[in-house]
Amino acid sequence: MSKEELKTSKPRNYSKLIRWIAGPVILLIIWQAAAYYYNQPWIFPSVTKVLSQLAHPLRQHYASGSLLSNTLISLLRVVIGFCLAAVVGVTIGIVMGSVSFIRDIIEPVLELLRPLCPIAWLPFAIVVFKLRTLPQLFGIDYSHTIFDQVQLGMIFVIFVGGFFPVLTNTLDGVAGVRRNYLLLAKTLGASPRQIFFHVYLPAAMPMILTGLRQGLGLCWFVIIAAEMMTGGDSGIGYLLMYASDNSAMDIVIAAMLIIGAVGALLAFFMRRVMNTFISWKPKEI
Amino acid sequence: MTPKPNNRKTSEKTTAIEIRGLGKVFHTDLGTKVRALQNIDLTVHSGEFLTILGATGCGKSTFLNLIAGLDAPDEGSIRLSDGLQFGENIGYVFQHYTLFPWRTVVKNVGFAQQMRGVSKRARKRKTSELLSRVGLAGFENAYPHELSGGMRQRAAIAQALAMKPKLLLMDEPFGAVDDATRGDLQNMITELWQENDMTIVFVTHNIDEAILLGSRILVLSERPGRIAGEFEIDLSRPRDRMNSEFTDIFMEIRRSLSGQLD
Ligand SMILES: Nc1ncnc2c1ncn2[C@@H]1O[C@H](COP(=O)(O)OP(=O)(O)OP(=O)(O)O)[C@@H](O)[C@H]1O
Ligand SMILES: [Mg+2]
Repeated sequence: MSKEELKTSKPRNYSKLIRWIAGPVILLIIWQAAAYYYNQPWIFPSVTKVLSQLAHPLRQHYASGSLLSNTLISLLRVVIGFCLAAVVGVTIGIVMGSVSFIRDIIEPVLELLRPLCPIAWLPFAIVVFKLRTLPQLFGIDYSHTIFDQVQLGMIFVIFVGGFFPVLTNTLDGVAGVRRNYLLLAKTLGASPRQIFFHVYLPAAMPMILTGLRQGLGLCWFVIIAAEMMTGGDSGIGYLLMYASDNSAMDIVIAAMLIIGAVGALLAFFMRRVMNTFISWKPKEI
Repeated sequence: MTPKPNNRKTSEKTTAIEIRGLGKVFHTDLGTKVRALQNIDLTVHSGEFLTILGATGCGKSTFLNLIAGLDAPDEGSIRLSDGLQFGENIGYVFQHYTLFPWRTVVKNVGFAQQMRGVSKRARKRKTSELLSRVGLAGFENAYPHELSGGMRQRAAIAQALAMKPKLLLMDEPFGAVDDATRGDLQNMITELWQENDMTIVFVTHNIDEAILLGSRILVLSERPGRIAGEFEIDLSRPRDRMNSEFTDIFMEIRRSLSGQLD
């Protein structure tokens, strides 16, 4: 970038910032005015009431914990389930993509299960895993940590949610690896194992990361829905539902804002990861 | 550079590759047959610089793929001399996609050695030596898309040389660069051939390039590719395009092709 561009880019960024902020600010003003006009806070709370909830994220609500603790519980569930989906999805995707025999066997099963909404697995998962938690899996009945809130059934549902986008994208990425790169690697003496790690994996990496980004987004959708189902006992989705049953609309909207913000943060984080991992131009050469 | 004899080991020509009655037929998705190569007999001698000249689509890439063992012949046979082993000492600079785009230059050049488990330090020494040899010192950490076409070909040549090839197959390696760069690369590959003990089979559709580089030229006919002519080039190196012998050979090949090349 030349000096000239550097000089002009700053004010342009300021005006962009103002435009970005303008939308939300206008929305908040309309909201506040409407809330004042209707004056029924149990249906339509004011901005200030919601903000005051957000300003006290540690405040305990009934028996269901605080905004912060429930958010952390949901995040922890998602991170564990998503990591599982990522490892399994990428591995199966690469194997399926590079060995057509295995792909032919697995693909029909997957195509059958894919259209199934992940939430539809929840009753099944709860029956299968009962309410067993992660520490219980390792023989610890009660660890007195946040991990006691990580039920295997929840993890399973999140896994299902994240698995398919990761798998599909990895598969497409691997299937799209140019044959020339495989030939080049063979010519240079790479073994099948080395081709897996040094050709398939890096060549498919942009698609894999796209799959991971989609998968993580979907996991965050799924956990909120799963926690809102009857039988839940914690998580930001649960708190949202619980507050709604108790007509605490300020908490409902505060929880919604948190869910949206966390989702946006996760997407932002994944995009950053993508940009740092892929410094080459996949479409070129 | 000490001038070396043009054709090394002419006195005791040992055979590197023996090709008898080679043919290749492709079956397209539509069910039609494309005969790419037909009845090719050829003996490639150890240490020679063989250039193969032919019009586009005549089966040049197919021919190299068959030699490399990346494709199987439908007729005839290819016999490599005992020392030659695919994945070991046969280098191949492909026509397209010659470098891994996700690897930097230094990691591309070090690929063959990495696959062989050569230590990082030894690899680094070897690659930086090669990179400065091909004129790419300072571009170690660039990605292929950051290089010019000529630099990419230099990197691809270094990548192939890193496996210390006894046989180097090159498929129109200088097809997509400007004339000045092409000249530099032609000089470089000539020197590399003189410095190293290797056989080169070099495919091109450029008559001038075939004469400038080759110790022998093989002319392929239009599809199906058959051997249409063979020329021993005894001109001393470095070769001069303005030399009358050079232009005589040029005209002779030109006539033998008459309209086959664009
Ligand atoms: N995998 C394939 N399937 C079907 N036909 C093929 C295949 N590979 C090559 N051919 C056909 O064989 C013929 C020779 O192809 P080849 O790539 O060897 O030509 P070439 O001489 O290298 O051409 P160019 O100078 O354009 O690189 C062409 O007609 C091509 O369409
Ligand atoms: Mg070709």
